[in-house]
Amino acid sequence: MGDPTPAAGPAVLAGGRHPATAVPAPSGPPGPSGRAGAGRAVLAGCRRVVAAAGWLWFAIALVAVWWFASADSTSAYFPPLRTIVHRLYELWIVGDAKSQLAPSLEHFAAGYGIAGAGGIALGALLWGVRPLRESTSPLLYFCYVLPAPALLPAVITLFGIDTTMKVAIISFAAVWPTLLNTVDGMRGVDPVKLDTARALGLSPLRTAGSVVLPAALPQIVAGLRNSLQVAIILMVVSEMTASTSGIGYFILTAQQSLAITDMWTGIIVLAVLGSALNLVFVAAERFVLAWHYGARAAEGKRS
Amino acid sequence: MTGPEPTPPAAPARSVRAARAAGLARRSGRLTGRLTVLAAVLGLWQVLSVTGYLRADEFPSMTRTAAALGREFGQVGFWVDLWATVRAWAAGVAIGAGSAVLVGSLLGLNRFAHRSASPVIELFKTVPVVAILPLAILEFGPTLRMRYVLVAFGVFWPLTIQVIYGVRSVDPTVRDTAEALGVRALRRFAVVTLPSAAPFIATGLRVAAATGLILDIVAELIGGGDNGLGLGILTALNAGPAAYPTMYAFIVATGLLGVLLTGAFGLAERRVLHWHESQREHARGPGAVSGG
Repeated sequence: MGDPTPAAGPAVLAGGRHPATAVPAPSGPPGPSGRAGAGRAVLAGCRRVVAAAGWLWFAIALVAVWWFASADSTSAYFPPLRTIVHRLYELWIVGDAKSQLAPSLEHFAAGYGIAGAGGIALGALLWGVRPLRESTSPLLYFCYVLPAPALLPAVITLFGIDTTMKVAIISFAAVWPTLLNTVDGMRGVDPVKLDTARALGLSPLRTAGSVVLPAALPQIVAGLRNSLQVAIILMVVSEMTASTSGIGYFILTAQQSLAITDMWTGIIVLAVLGSALNLVFVAAERFVLAWHYGARAAEGKRS
Repeated sequence: MTGPEPTPPAAPARSVRAARAAGLARRSGRLTGRLTVLAAVLGLWQVLSVTGYLRADEFPSMTRTAAALGREFGQVGFWVDLWATVRAWAAGVAIGAGSAVLVGSLLGLNRFAHRSASPVIELFKTVPVVAILPLAILEFGPTLRMRYVLVAFGVFWPLTIQVIYGVRSVDPTVRDTAEALGVRALRRFAVVTLPSAAPFIATGLRVAAATGLILDIVAELIGGGDNGLGLGILTALNAGPAAYPTMYAFIVATGLLGVLLTGAFGLAERRVLHWHESQREHARGPGAVSGG
């Protein structure tokens, strides 16, 4: 599972995650003890600071280049960064443009929540019923590969342009990566473990909870990560196509009314929002998988 | 689909033949199941339309959509749209992938460079690509160029990360051996680095192919243009309920194009990397039962 070979994942989905973050390296038994542990912690801290400096300089240099290169810019489409930052403060910090974020995040949360929960549940169902899985797989693959934005016009005719439409398209598009990864992860469960559970007389629900789910977890999380990207894209695209609010709507209207600086502030806010959502996901992933590997390590010790 | 079946070691010829027969039976059973499900879904769609559960002015019936799809296949306009989408996609993926391989290789070769740049590229990877779409529309207008620029931009970041990891994954012993043997840098890159990075790049490319198509459709729907499958969908939407079968026909065609492009990349990956350990599962396959 921890093998970083890129093609080791499911045939269709392996690549949305890159090897470094796909499955965090199993951390050793938690809590290094004694003086050696403290020394190591200090050393690790130092190393982290150095590492941060190692890449921060590049990020800072890039922003500096942008700042100075654009300082005297008279190009209509590329205003000086200073102007953008000023406007960003006016609109998003003191102004009320931040109210645009609420509807976006609501649609995202509802759509992604439905997609995640539904993907895991449906994936588990398909894993459990093998004939169903095998006979529906071409259909599911088609839905997965179909570029979801192509469905937007159809979804608009069905649901109008309000919240329902956005939640519907986000959840429909984002459900497939999680679903297919869940099926694949559960299929990778060691058959011996399943036989043991059966021999021990565990109920199917108990087996699912204590044998199947933990073993499939890393891949389910990888699926959820792919779904996250899809959900963010469709959150923005659905607002750009048909909406009266939201960050995507803000950026596109600013562009159409040639309020270029406003558009740039929107782009920056959206970039920050996307990164923030990813960061939250990574933090949650670490938390869940740390527990996962911690439990595994403890299990290994006991035996 | 399934791992190799455990077969008793005795009478290998017969067990192999039996396993083959069983595999064949299972595969034909699977095919029947798949066709049945497909027929059932299409049938259900038709029944829901005929009984009026799906309103005709909102969701056209299956037969009318299929007829529209057949009609579109016979029209030049459809193929012009398809070609425009494929062209924007191909140009974008080629530019994005080409620069990703170049930049990723250069960064991957130097520890300091990749340490400095990777986090920034990681950050860019998390930025929703559609954020720059309005900028691209301003700069290039509703053109093919606007579309492939967006595709290339979206493909570049994740693929670069993938290439860096591929290049860094080279077995140091092999690299040092090549160096000790006096293999020159450029040749070392071609003979040692690139092959060992290939699986990473191939996986990245397969994902890039799918992402690229999504981004081109988005660019068509929001940015506009002359021809493209996304524009076909949009035109049919604007023509009103009478054209909805055509709209769904275009959506299905877009999905089929997705299947085709992703499938082609997956197949190429398997063909080109058949020697690599990550592909051995495929090579073994369910039919070829080996003794051990």
